[in-house]
Amino acid sequence: MNPQERNRLIDALIEGDISEADFLRLEAEFSVDPEARREYLERLTLSALLEEEGKAFAPARVEPIAFRKYWPVALTGLAAAVAVGFFGLRERSQRLVSPERTAAAATVVEQRESGFAVLAGQAGAVWQGAAQLADGALVPAGQLTLASGWAQIELFSGVTVVVEGDALFEIVSPMEMIVARGKVRIQVPEPARGFTILTPKGKVVDLGTEFALDLSSERPEVHVLQGDVEWHPHAAAMRHLEKGEALRLDDSPTSEKRIAQTSGFIGLEEMGEKLAAFRRERRASWARSIETLQRDPRLVAFFRMNASDPADRRVTNDAAAGKAVLSEGAVVAAARVSDRWGQAGGALDFSPAGSRVRVHVPGRYHALTFVTWVKINSLDRWYNSLFLTDGHDLHEPHWQIMNDGRLFFSVKKRDTWDAAKGEKDKHIYFSPPFWSSALSGRWLMIATVYDPDARHVTHYLNGQRLSREAVPAEYLVETVSIGAASIGNWDLPNRDEPRYAVRNLNGSMDEFALFGTALSPEEIAGLYAQGKP
Amino acid sequence: MTEIERESRIVALLTEIQIPLRLYVRSLLPGDPAAGDVAQQANATLWLKRGDFTLGTNFKAWAFSVARYEVLNYRKRQARDARLVFSERLEEVLAEDLAGQADDTERRHEALKRCLANLRGKDRALLLHRYAGAGTLAEYAAQTGQSAGGLKVTLHRLRNALLACIRGQLQHTEEMT
Repeated sequence: MNPQERNRLIDALIEGDISEADFLRLEAEFSVDPEARREYLERLTLSALLEEEGKAFAPARVEPIAFRKYWPVALTGLAAAVAVGFFGLRERSQRLVSPERTAAAATVVEQRESGFAVLAGQAGAVWQGAAQLADGALVPAGQLTLASGWAQIELFSGVTVVVEGDALFEIVSPMEMIVARGKVRIQVPEPARGFTILTPKGKVVDLGTEFALDLSSERPEVHVLQGDVEWHPHAAAMRHLEKGEALRLDDSPTSEKRIAQTSGFIGLEEMGEKLAAFRRERRASWARSIETLQRDPRLVAFFRMNASDPADRRVTNDAAAGKAVLSEGAVVAAARVSDRWGQAGGALDFSPAGSRVRVHVPGRYHALTFVTWVKINSLDRWYNSLFLTDGHDLHEPHWQIMNDGRLFFSVKKRDTWDAAKGEKDKHIYFSPPFWSSALSGRWLMIATVYDPDARHVTHYLNGQRLSREAVPAEYLVETVSIGAASIGNWDLPNRDEPRYAVRNLNGSMDEFALFGTALSPEEIAGLYAQGKP
Repeated sequence: MTEIERESRIVALLTEIQIPLRLYVRSLLPGDPAAGDVAQQANATLWLKRGDFTLGTNFKAWAFSVARYEVLNYRKRQARDARLVFSERLEEVLAEDLAGQADDTERRHEALKRCLANLRGKDRALLLHRYAGAGTLAEYAAQTGQSAGGLKVTLHRLRNALLACIRGQLQHTEEMT
């Protein structure tokens, strides 16, 4: 069977339009020829993708039962924090697998996230039944238990809530919250008037104000600090409360109002102080940890993207061992912005066109570990650079993020290769997509370890392993070299070819570390624990 | 590990293998429009049986074996319809092939969009008709004054062209990196 005929039969098979005799011929071919099976799977993929494209134009259909019926179960069983990270992935995979699309969505699939609020800050917060929520994270739907500490939540309506644990609550919508237990202090700006809190005893409707609820004791109370609110008990008439007034929620409908107390509730200002103190403490502990890190003989480069003089367009290598051969990097175009501790000028924003930090890393390395702290605005380039050597010469590494959120790492193995034989110049180690727009604007620690001894490449996000892939024997590079390279961008255009690919990272970086060895998963987790703001 | 951590890992694994899983079911049921539903049934079964899975072992292999079982179930229900079925060994080999290859579907999808944009209007219209599924090929043939057989040949030629274009795009992007 020649390839043309084989491909014609494969298409007929996929179209459900094949005779039994041809089916048997094709089956025989598949059984002996991996190339024929590869062609089959490739054509199946094409058909599936074409159907996906077609659906964008077809009228909306009702989604078949199973997916809809079982995914929500999968989701409700999830830890809250995981759910946030997961939505992005789920959205992405549904783009390919879910038939639920309308004609309006024909050309662009709008990104979606889920939630009504973000966690603006937390001090000593311990979340129960869920992994810890990170600052800046979307607050997941459903019940949340803050076992102790304080959390400041900003609802999309503009309402700010400070919750003090032990508290059990749920953000139901941008204008509605349930509080079953704990203390909350709520600031409602004018545009969010009518914000409602539901409690076991009744509901509080805000009329433009600042008020507090104490549901931490046997005798729940509401206190009005500014403006006025309406108290709607379950089984009695509504009562109007003004500034300075308070009420026990189980008092009789005719009882005297009390005097509001502010002291029992943490306000925004105090919360701000608590957050600042917490951050100072974290930063101090991090500063102690990097003193040790800098002396690590395995550390080749350690750039903190700060400068004592803002006009200085250099960053210094703080790695004691690597300093002798690589003393500094040159900052191009990138603007100085706040670092992950909120210190002004401590990070570089690579989003201005042409931004990069130029470095020259001499020497040869066997294994490598890259670690960086970045705050990504969006992955809007096809390739979003972290660290790329100029061009892509033999034995050089490239480290970047694909527009679909996969981490990309490669070391070039060959200068010439025969594509017809299935050869490539290198093997690319991709992580699964880790990105969702809920991560936008948050500081993340990204790390990749190239370990030719153990023969694998491991990608990490925030100290957690994303993926590990074996190094195929034919693409193993024992000695890696770097030379001229850019942090946050790729390549320099040359005299004959001034056009260049736009790959600068749309985001900021405040720390970049390169080790000439493979760090263990425990060490990566340790770097995250010490470095997280 | 808590139950919640375990479940979240399984959801992540399940998400990761959606595309290969669907492809595998399709490869066992070529030309059968019910393949999508069978794949979804496999998802449901995987979730119900998640307790049977040992974390750290090969999730894809486990998922494929469950999916294959769903395919067998489906065929049983379709008993009246003597569909063409691959040998058991070939079905296993296809699972091995798919488990061993990297999932580059998203890159292919991006490439396909670019390739579709380069097609002539009437070719795009034919593909759209075939894959948006508004009517039969015979109706479309009547509307456009062509023969259904001729359209089938054109569709095959278009798929060949798209495949060549996608391969070119993927090759190109690899070279760029």
